[in-house]
Amino acid sequence: MIAFYILAAVLIASAVFTVTQRSPVYSVVGLLVNFITLAIFYFSLNAEFLGVIQLVVYSGAILMLFVFVIALLSSGIGPFSEGPNRLPLILAPALLSVLVAFGFLIFGLGRGPLVPALSAAGNASVGAVGTAKAFGSVANFGTALFTTQLLPFEVTAFVLMVAVVGVVTIAGDASPAPTLGHHGRRRKRAKEREPIVKAGR
Amino acid sequence: MNAGAALEVLWLLPLASAIVIWAFGPQLRRTAGALGTAVVLAAFVCALFLFGAATAPGGVHQPLGSWFAGFTFGLQLDPLSLLWTFIITGVGGLIHLYSIGYMWSDRAIARFFAYMNFFVFAMLTLVLSDNVVGLLVGWGLVGLASYFLIGFWFYKPSAVAAAKKAFVINVVGDVGIMFAVFALYATTASIAFADIFAKAGTLRPGILFLVCVGLFIGAAAKSAQVPLHTWLPDAMEGPTPVSALIHAATMVTAGVYLVARFAPLYDRSPAAQELVGVVGALTMLLGAILGIAQWDIKRILAYSTMSQIGYMIMGVGVGAYQAGVLHFFTHAFFKAQLFLGAGIIIHALHDEQDVRKMGGLRPLMPFAFWAMLAGTLAICGFPFFSGYYSKDAVIYGALEHGHPWLFAAGVLTAGITAYYMFRMIFLVFFGPFRGEVADEALGIDTHAAAAHAEQHVAHAPAWLMRLPVAILIVPTVCAGYLSIGFGGPSPWARFFGTSFGTGASVPESAPPIGEIASSLVVLVLVAAGIVLAYLRYGAPPVQAAAVERLRTETVKMPLALRRAFFVDDFIEIAIVHPVQALGIAIARFVDPHVIDAGVRDLVWLAGALGAIFRRLQTGLVRGYALTIVIGAAVFIAYFATLGAGR
Amino acid sequence: MQVDVSSYIALSAVMFFIGVAGVVLRRNPLIALMAIELMLNAANLALVAFARAWVNIAGQVFVFLVVTVAAAEAAIGLAIVVAVFRRAKNVDVDEVARLRG
Repeated sequence: MIAFYILAAVLIASAVFTVTQRSPVYSVVGLLVNFITLAIFYFSLNAEFLGVIQLVVYSGAILMLFVFVIALLSSGIGPFSEGPNRLPLILAPALLSVLVAFGFLIFGLGRGPLVPALSAAGNASVGAVGTAKAFGSVANFGTALFTTQLLPFEVTAFVLMVAVVGVVTIAGDASPAPTLGHHGRRRKRAKEREPIVKAGR
Repeated sequence: MNAGAALEVLWLLPLASAIVIWAFGPQLRRTAGALGTAVVLAAFVCALFLFGAATAPGGVHQPLGSWFAGFTFGLQLDPLSLLWTFIITGVGGLIHLYSIGYMWSDRAIARFFAYMNFFVFAMLTLVLSDNVVGLLVGWGLVGLASYFLIGFWFYKPSAVAAAKKAFVINVVGDVGIMFAVFALYATTASIAFADIFAKAGTLRPGILFLVCVGLFIGAAAKSAQVPLHTWLPDAMEGPTPVSALIHAATMVTAGVYLVARFAPLYDRSPAAQELVGVVGALTMLLGAILGIAQWDIKRILAYSTMSQIGYMIMGVGVGAYQAGVLHFFTHAFFKAQLFLGAGIIIHALHDEQDVRKMGGLRPLMPFAFWAMLAGTLAICGFPFFSGYYSKDAVIYGALEHGHPWLFAAGVLTAGITAYYMFRMIFLVFFGPFRGEVADEALGIDTHAAAAHAEQHVAHAPAWLMRLPVAILIVPTVCAGYLSIGFGGPSPWARFFGTSFGTGASVPESAPPIGEIASSLVVLVLVAAGIVLAYLRYGAPPVQAAAVERLRTETVKMPLALRRAFFVDDFIEIAIVHPVQALGIAIARFVDPHVIDAGVRDLVWLAGALGAIFRRLQTGLVRGYALTIVIGAAVFIAYFATLGAGR
Repeated sequence: MQVDVSSYIALSAVMFFIGVAGVVLRRNPLIALMAIELMLNAANLALVAFARAWVNIAGQVFVFLVVTVAAAEAAIGLAIVVAVFRRAKNVDVDEVARLRG
């Protein structure tokens, strides 16, 4: 119980930290802490497999991706340079709408029980974390993934392929060949013709 | 083929030929005349063959189709429409033949016959329809044909103006009929005559009166009754055959047909009948008075037409349907005769129409003289000529149906008619020929005269113009004999039978004087008129000093008569000028500042809205993201409070 | 777990809206993408909590898919950022306003 509140506090704090830092590197660190805390939450919610996935994929791969991109874009150490703020008046409406939305959501939450309460008895049927074939264990998860949820699983493969192709197309080739222009093309064609003559020698 | 199909062929044949002539005009030229004439005469023969079927009980009926409930179109041939068909196709055919000669040298002769055949078709539509809507369609088409034909020489501004005037005044009448048709359909849920007359008894008196008045407004416009008469004298701008056919024998009598056709309605509305009778009498009198003051031979005949139609309208107005229709019948013959004869004279004098420049034509043109004399004697009601029987029938009919004042008006007008018609005869045919006399000596205003001359040059074979006139002499004299019954009902009465219902033909009480006495009174006035005309225009000493006398008369003509009692001027000031001013005001103010401004403002509005919304397109992603967030907030708020599941 | 599901949902909501605020208010594209990751993870937390409450493994499978998609999306987003800001002076989302109307 107390653990929940402490972890919740860490979660929120790290989220705020991520969003408010000048330097993206600090934000990445904050995000890392956030993800790890989330993994702990997953473990506590009988989602062992997902917890591990969270650690491996999210904090291990995606955050590294962020770090590399930061490295690619930054010309030096320190915060990136930014232009003038073109929407100075956005702060108030943004915060207002966020608070309104959050408020109504909490209000809606308070209206009644969402699900049958998580009871200790329910816990028993679920099985403790780490137990083989318990709810959320690798075996359980894997069984679901390869039987009832097979189609989405296959589709994700497709999604990942699309992502790879997209990334290569969008950001590949740092310096593409410059366009030759009219005279350039003629010169290029002329150059290409030469070897045929030269080959006769 | 059966009678109904024959009727449909009769009806459509002139239309087909009109289209053919119109399409192939340049190739056909004068042959168009032969074609047009042949078609109309063929229709006449068709009508002759249908005589038996038409006079049988029920007549001939040919349904043409229906649109929705209560809207059924068809053709019908009963004694009334058969009579009109005979005149339209018979007299019309003779006039077509005459026109070949009259329009011989006109370059647009084919167009003329296309229009004439179209007119015949339109008039047949009018009289052969078995429903009010078909009648109204024919009504409008006839007005259109009249517009085409009056303005036939469209390069003459006066002709174009006259055509427009005729059409616009007729439209006023059309509106009257339209409202009457609306009212009839609203109350009887049908447009067919049979249904309407069957339900005539159920109509409320107020509605009935309004319907009759509405119909009569149309009749007054079409038949040139006061105050919608001003177009008829101007319509003489058209070629003389047009004046003969349309503005004497057929189109202008459509009003008479209308009232006669709706006899079951008019018989039930004594107030409407009173109105019709009075208007007819007024027109009758006014036309005759104005006829005294005319110098153009065609205008004399135009006013005489107006006056005679006044007789017919008065006749059918008081309920003497057979008398009124009999006068239509005889008038068609002698008026056509008079116009065609006048046309021969005009043609011979190289388009001179002013009687002041005529004179002494009796020895020079004896054929024309005898023809016009016959027509004149008929129109005056000279004994044993056709007009005598029909006029007496109308005048006595007024007395029989209890309208002594109308009777008196009819008698008086008969005298005036004799006077001005014989004035014309004496001025045209007697005394020295004044064609060589200078215009100023006779008091002619050369400006106005030049504008009215008709146009032709070459000469056609004389028989083309003489044969129809010669043929017409016979009915001019004899047509009235059909109304003589020796002991029993006359052929005329037997022809019509109970076409007009049995209600109105029986007078309520015995008239104060007998038929013979009434006839004698009329004859006395006619004789007085002829004598007066002789004294003023025909006597030898008068003829010797003709030039001097004519000039004096021209100069001393009262302004009221010269300006036709200012009716035209009144309409011009009271109606035309305000409408024109309104039109100009709308064009100058409403059009640019209201209509154009409305469109411009709409465009401006679109631009302004666009400019406003363009400010949302900042291109900044954060702004768009904010929009999404706000939307999400709204959604969440909705679902948290009012949404499904909670 | 004695903690009620609604606590987890509330927590998820807080994290989510922090992410929203981050996307709208930060001008550095990299931070914005990180904020988007925050939002996705908030959703994941809610899913896992519900999966545990209903004892239905489908919730966790869904999270698996979300992670995959988030990874793909992050990759492509970063590729776009690289492509657009490769030679830019300012790494600022406001500078790329080519959709301006």
